Amino acid sequence: MSGIDVDLAVNGLITGLFYALMAIGLSLIFGILKIVNFAHGEFYMVGAYAYTLIALALGVPVWIALPLAFVVGALLGWLTERTLMRPLYAGYTSWGLMRDEYAVIVTFGLSLFLINLVDKVVGPYAYRGPPLVETSRVVLGPVLISGHRLLAAGIAIAVIAVTAALIKWSFWGQQIRAVSQNRLGASLAGIDTAKASVIVFMLSGGLAAFAGALLSPVINASPDVGIFPAIKSYIIVVLGGMGSVPGAIIASLFLGVIESFGAVYISFQYRDAFGLILLMLFLLFRPQGLFGEKGREV
Amino acid sequence: MAPSSATSPAGNRSGAQLSNTKTTVEFRAALVAMAIVALIPLGVSNPYWLGVLIVSMYFAILAGAWNLLAGYTGQFSLAPATFAMIGAYTTGLLNHYFGVPPLLGIVAAVVVSGLVGLLLGRAVLRLVGPYLALTTLSFAEIMRLVASNSIDITRGDLGLGVAGLLDSRVGWYYLFLGALVALLVLFYMLLRSKAGLFLQAIRDDEVAARRAGVNVVFWKTAAFAISAAASGFAGALYAHFAELVTPELGLIGQTGLIVSMTVIGGMGTLAGPLVAAFLVYVLSEWLRDVGGYQLVVFAALVVIFARFFREGLWGLARAAVQRWGRA
Repeated sequence: MSGIDVDLAVNGLITGLFYALMAIGLSLIFGILKIVNFAHGEFYMVGAYAYTLIALALGVPVWIALPLAFVVGALLGWLTERTLMRPLYAGYTSWGLMRDEYAVIVTFGLSLFLINLVDKVVGPYAYRGPPLVETSRVVLGPVLISGHRLLAAGIAIAVIAVTAALIKWSFWGQQIRAVSQNRLGASLAGIDTAKASVIVFMLSGGLAAFAGALLSPVINASPDVGIFPAIKSYIIVVLGGMGSVPGAIIASLFLGVIESFGAVYISFQYRDAFGLILLMLFLLFRPQGLFGEKGREV
Repeated sequence: MAPSSATSPAGNRSGAQLSNTKTTVEFRAALVAMAIVALIPLGVSNPYWLGVLIVSMYFAILAGAWNLLAGYTGQFSLAPATFAMIGAYTTGLLNHYFGVPPLLGIVAAVVVSGLVGLLLGRAVLRLVGPYLALTTLSFAEIMRLVASNSIDITRGDLGLGVAGLLDSRVGWYYLFLGALVALLVLFYMLLRSKAGLFLQAIRDDEVAARRAGVNVVFWKTAAFAISAAASGFAGALYAHFAELVTPELGLIGQTGLIVSMTVIGGMGTLAGPLVAAFLVYVLSEWLRDVGGYQLVVFAALVVIFARFFREGLWGLARAAVQRWGRA
């Protein structure tokens, strides 16, 4: 492995970490409601704007603006769940027929709405968030990274680890996993499934917004900035198995590395297509992903 | 707890007789709307507004085609704009490189986009709901990336110049209207035949439809191919109208507009999406002049209609007529 390969691998893994922040939430939502949230990228976009505007316009220190972006995303997730997701499970029996279509339409509509609302209210210009540290580049052997990216990667690792631990061991985490394994069974065991889905949406929105905030010094947030990260997280969730959190983390790192190498060794122009092709192949031939369980219906 | 939709969506689906009556009423309403559209050039000669109406008709065809697939067959594809793009590039490339006349190019576009639709429909046969939406979304994005990155062939985002077909804008207006009415009649005949029942049976319960002897594989694939061919037709017409083909035709935002029109008009109704295409597009041009909030308004309407008025404007109108009839 030459120096450039090490550099590509490390930078790919770091990109993968940010993908993981997005994909975990999406995967949890799929697990618990069996829907894909097509507005997921807009949580990311809102997070980037929240961080940038809170830090720059209000002059709040970046270390306070960062958690505030998480809070904004979580609130948006809560609002989405309460206003739009309830019909998916709260006893609207006649909705069974068009349930999947409803979820796609309503989240797709929400995505368009948020993009255009931000475009009109904040403006279509790109915003660049303030970096957490000013160090422009750090040299680690053959690897070149900006100081902000390195620090953001460290924070991302910490947040991912805490989230994964919470899902695995905390009381609510166990309840969420129970609901995603078997909704009816969980509710018979006394688990409040509505509350579980509120928590999942808040966590999902918060994590996506947090990813947007962490990346805002790099991505030049514009209203449609969330579209590609969202597509990446759909790919990851399918690769990792819909609903599986460890699967989502591993698939994120995998995709980050594949894109990083593919852009250099195969084609730079088509770097965004590799994942899409993987996504189609997986959906057609192995819809349960690398780690997901094959669907079982009773 | 029930949502405030005025009528149950399943209410009118029992039996061929009822379904046919429903479709016929919708067909007549759509014809009346098209007759009104046909009279507009008598009063409006402003080329800008005629252009707006022509683009509305382009979207009306796309919304109608997507509605056949999503509204009537329950296959929620996120690639309708992509098939329009494929149709536009088929005739565009043929014309640009081989000098194929537009009319022949349009026929080729229908065939090519129909074939691609057939293949995609066959591939995604077993996928439902979110899986289908994601697969078609990635198909759409891959196609758009290919179109915008194959710069040597398609000139990428600069766009490909293609020959025009008609000189007069009013001529284009009636050409598009003719295409729209022809497709409307075609869809009506399709839906009124047994095929229409098969498609709706598949949407309502695929397993039951198969048990009742419906050839699910054939009809699902056929719906995909027909919808794709109609979208490709619209895209090819548009290519010669605009005299330019760009990858922007396949943007996900375009699909967003098509979905909005269909949902606001009423999914699974013949007239709703057509009429809504005009309302949404003309209104959006008008809103553009007064502050540019058009997309915010339409996206909000999509969410509100999907959440509270599942049968769209058509359902609201029908409920209003029924209430008025009783009073």
